[in-house]
Amino acid sequence: MEIIDGFHNIAIKYLSVTTFYPLNHLTALKKILLLLCCCLAGLATHAQSGGRFTMKGVIADTSGVGLPEATVMLLLPKDSSLVNFGRTDKQGAFEFKNIKRVPYLLKVSYVGYLPYQQNVNPKEGDVTDLGKLGMKFLNQDLYEVVIKTARAPLSIRGDTVEYDPRAFKVPPGATVEDLLRRLPGMQIEQDGSIKAQGESVKRVTVDGKRFFGDDVKAATKNLPAEAISKVQVFNDKTEQSRITGVDDGKHEKTLNLQLKDSHKKGGFGKASVGIGTDKRLEGKINYNRFNEKNQFSVIGLGNNTNSGGMSWDDYQDFRGSQSFNWGDDGDFGFGGGVRYISFGGDGDDQSLTIQAGSGGQNRGFNKNWAGGANYNFDEKKTKFNTSYYYNQTGQTLDGISRQTTYLTNSAFTKLDTNGRRNFNANHRGGLRFEKTLDSLNSLIIISNMRLGNGTSDYKSHQEYFRGEQEVDQLSTVSDFANYSDFNSFALGNTAIFRHKFRKKGRNFAASFAYNVNNSTGNVMQRSTNRFFKSSQTSPDSVVNINQNNDTKSLRNQIKSSLLYIEPLSKKFFLETFYNFSLKTDDVDRNVYDITEGGSEMNLNLSRYYKNRSTYNRGGTTLRYSNKGINLSAGLGAQEIRLNGDFAVNQSDPVRTKIDRSFFNWTPNFSLNFDLKQNRYLYGSYSVNVQEPNIRDLQPIVDNSNPLYIRVGNPSLVPTLSHSGNLGFNYFNPGSFIQMFFGANYNYYENQVIYSQTVSENLVTTTMATNISGGNSFSLYGNYGFPIVKTKSNLNLNVSYNRNNNLTNINTVLNETNTNGYNWGMRLDYTPSDKFTIYTNANWSINDTKYSISSGQNQKIVNTNYGAEMNFKMPKDIYFNSRFSYNSYVNDRFDFDQKMPILNLSVYKTMLKSKKGEIRLSAYDVFNKNRGISQQAYGNVVSQEQVRTLARYFMLSFTYNMRGVTHSVRRKGYGY
Amino acid sequence: MKRLFIFIFFLLSHNYLHAQAQEGVVTYERTQYYTKIIARLTFLSQEEKDRAKMTWGNDDGWKQKMVLYFNGKESKYEALKEDSEDGWSGRPEDFFIYRNFETEKKIEFETVSGKTYFLEDSLITPKWQVMNKIKEIQGYMCMMAVSKDPVKNQTITAWFANDLVMQSGPEKFFGLPGLILELDINDGDVIITASKVDLKPVKPELLAIPKKIKGKKVNQVQYDAMLTDLITTSIKGRRNPFWSIRY
Repeated sequence: MEIIDGFHNIAIKYLSVTTFYPLNHLTALKKILLLLCCCLAGLATHAQSGGRFTMKGVIADTSGVGLPEATVMLLLPKDSSLVNFGRTDKQGAFEFKNIKRVPYLLKVSYVGYLPYQQNVNPKEGDVTDLGKLGMKFLNQDLYEVVIKTARAPLSIRGDTVEYDPRAFKVPPGATVEDLLRRLPGMQIEQDGSIKAQGESVKRVTVDGKRFFGDDVKAATKNLPAEAISKVQVFNDKTEQSRITGVDDGKHEKTLNLQLKDSHKKGGFGKASVGIGTDKRLEGKINYNRFNEKNQFSVIGLGNNTNSGGMSWDDYQDFRGSQSFNWGDDGDFGFGGGVRYISFGGDGDDQSLTIQAGSGGQNRGFNKNWAGGANYNFDEKKTKFNTSYYYNQTGQTLDGISRQTTYLTNSAFTKLDTNGRRNFNANHRGGLRFEKTLDSLNSLIIISNMRLGNGTSDYKSHQEYFRGEQEVDQLSTVSDFANYSDFNSFALGNTAIFRHKFRKKGRNFAASFAYNVNNSTGNVMQRSTNRFFKSSQTSPDSVVNINQNNDTKSLRNQIKSSLLYIEPLSKKFFLETFYNFSLKTDDVDRNVYDITEGGSEMNLNLSRYYKNRSTYNRGGTTLRYSNKGINLSAGLGAQEIRLNGDFAVNQSDPVRTKIDRSFFNWTPNFSLNFDLKQNRYLYGSYSVNVQEPNIRDLQPIVDNSNPLYIRVGNPSLVPTLSHSGNLGFNYFNPGSFIQMFFGANYNYYENQVIYSQTVSENLVTTTMATNISGGNSFSLYGNYGFPIVKTKSNLNLNVSYNRNNNLTNINTVLNETNTNGYNWGMRLDYTPSDKFTIYTNANWSINDTKYSISSGQNQKIVNTNYGAEMNFKMPKDIYFNSRFSYNSYVNDRFDFDQKMPILNLSVYKTMLKSKKGEIRLSAYDVFNKNRGISQQAYGNVVSQEQVRTLARYFMLSFTYNMRGVTHSVRRKGYGY
Repeated sequence: MKRLFIFIFFLLSHNYLHAQAQEGVVTYERTQYYTKIIARLTFLSQEEKDRAKMTWGNDDGWKQKMVLYFNGKESKYEALKEDSEDGWSGRPEDFFIYRNFETEKKIEFETVSGKTYFLEDSLITPKWQVMNKIKEIQGYMCMMAVSKDPVKNQTITAWFANDLVMQSGPEKFFGLPGLILELDINDGDVIITASKVDLKPVKPELLAIPKKIKGKKVNQVQYDAMLTDLITTSIKGRRNPFWSIRY
């Protein structure tokens, strides 16, 4: 350990000493005495002083005037480590007393001067006097321009002064010459030759190497300024002395240009292709190019292995910095002051934005194709994005289902064998522009469009039986063959302006949106319905449906919202918002009955309507925020006005009018406590209003499915839902214990339900009606902890839910009461980087009771067990196996299905830098995969099985420019 | 003991020359770049690191305002209490670093991994290397010095102002001939720059240690051992330790 001495007062003392005893006049005796004194003093203070000495000197400027208060540092020459420091006194003198006798690097800094440094080797004797050390002025031009204006650091290396030219702003595309013009001390002559500090630059080197011979202009005129990280000017030996090795003392000004590291610029990509038995194929390719401000990416994928479209990882790679955006939602409301990221939108196919993460489809056979390109320009103040994405899905679903419907003291059962061929394609284009106008104002403009088309082919054979079992009396046999195709175009534009006032916490935001949705569709409906009553072999009556219908619909919507936040004090904020929306629907639906004589318009089903829905909402919230406690209470008032105009078709003079308006108060409360030690408590209560669906409001009878007739209800009122929740969260990053639990409750007022009337022929007629009293309640809890830290984790979860659904069945109110119990556990065992096991088990029991038919209570039990094992073998070979066992049981119907699925794969990294991977996989080794589902809802209980992609083997190859990294660990959530 | 002696010596001598000790408040802007920290996690693949960088890299930089109060003898570094800008308030962090150069003692109050610690120990100066680079920060010419944090394995670059005669600085770094006005942790993972230097008398209560503070008492050795263990277990458990540890 080095001795650090304070030397200020010592320096003073020393100065007084020198006045009386100048060193050079000291006699030998005096010298000895002094040495002795020093030694004694040293012994007294530090009890050691062998091999120590005193260093002193005076720091002065070039004219010899002492510089007071200069910082003097003693460093070790080998690594510049700081040993001692102090300041000069009023005369510029310094002294380090009793320091270790080793060579030092003395460094002095003083404002306005070039930092001074000198190697000091202790001289013989106790005192090494360095005398006057002259400091040179720092070139003021350099200081002003580099340090003051560009705020860049300046490095001093002997006589080399270097700085980072990135601090000097040049327009994009500028050459090094343009850059040099801006640098202090540089001069560019007419002919392109360069002068540095008045001297001609004889040589330009790039990264220390010569660039195109000695033509100085070649480098400066051709290299882009953006490529340079450092500019250095120094005096180099002449060419002559370089060759001869003899320094002739002459020096030439040399300019060296240091190139930037290319890490901010680059490209990467990944491609994989797989080929399997049973004509299974999959492929995916993506590529990204980027630099500091621009990102460009393309993606393409296709598969017939039910693997779905883009995963979240693919999405992030594709969208880059525009994957998630803050505050893109212009519909301000309660809690409008908090900016959040909004994901996607309403449903995969209907959304205007690119959808990801839908995951694999484990039903039927799916063919997916997708591809697109994305470009981002991203800098601090301006962000621009444009993207195009196409995706299509072809789906084949061949299934059988059985469904039992409970009526007042009776039931009927439907057996359905059906085949569905669906095709859906979407082109999506998007633009997003975000501009920070200044420190207080920002603007976001978003425009997204979707162009979609699709077809759907539906064939079904249905048999209806009276009673609960399919062996009971046959009632109806129907055969359907429907086909439809549609085209749609949708466009959404939003502009959001935000303003922060100078007063902190005062904010204003305004948004405006214009949305269009235009669609046309054609449907061909063909069905034969045979009703049996007196006989089981020949029908009593036959109803045939042979209809074509075409529907054109156009929706226009303009929306606008305002938000104003006023800080009442440091802890209280008042948020006020206003929303307006005007939505017009223009729908023309023509239904034709196809007869032998041609087609004839069906006036009962054809409709033309115009509907206008005006929405106004205003509200205010008082928010309290202090030290992690956030409480808010708000009240909103909203009005929805529906203005409809119905007719058989456009030329029909008879118009039915609907003109209704609904007014509601909507209270809103929320609490958020950020408690000590990563504990969070949150809860809320809100009232939400859902306006009736326009289809349900239309006063028409839709009998296109003769077994299921829908009747509209123009007297519907909006549904009011009261929602409350309370939750608690805890995570301990030290012990890895995590825990959360909570409860949710919903209560519905004027819930829209479909009241059923079932006729003698088992024809169900439904009518939308309002009813109050439906509710749902749930509790959940989760506790996870390590059994052995980082090696083994156990996670337990339980949940309970209770639903009360109300339905009118044959004018009797039925209350379906479902109690659901779920519990499960997950055990991870990750002992090493070579071997891991992940297991899980989940059980769920659904107990359903029907008030109209209490004898028909159902108990559905679904169970799932899963296990995954990974291990790494020598030579970068990995093995993965995944097993899952699902069982579906409903004793009442003797339904008991088990589905053991085993997937295995073995893979190996290969090629240079592990850029390649070859993989052999076996999916569903036991060939047991079927899309099974069972449910109980309303007054219905159903089971379904769909023919689904089962056993196949696949060989695949992946090439990743950044290398394929494998781990036996599951992808974590640790970053 | 030796060091203590030296420090007292230095401070006494320092005060002797500067009849009025420098006092003041420095406000720092602390910016933490998470994607850079993510890029250092050994358990992530290059692909995952690049993905994080591409997605969040341009909008990175979590900003926080810090403040350092100092008089000639003591300094205290803590988060600046600011009014909420959007009406939302997070829980204030348990954090301050108090140094007394006279008694050569420090107190660090900090929440690590959800647990609050009260670290009381003597001042141990980091080992500095002074480099030949100067720049100006808030009107003060600063010199560059580099060091290493052996516990978190970070390279430290500090810019200290010769004209501000105070050995203190932001975070856990001090011991240079002048006040540290900029600190760069691990090549720009975290950058703490002075945004305001205000030389004025500092009220003693600003430097005082709050009376009501709760935390587990530890010394430097215990604290370093605890931190080392947390970082290694976190990395082993494939979690980013710096979600819950101050970087």
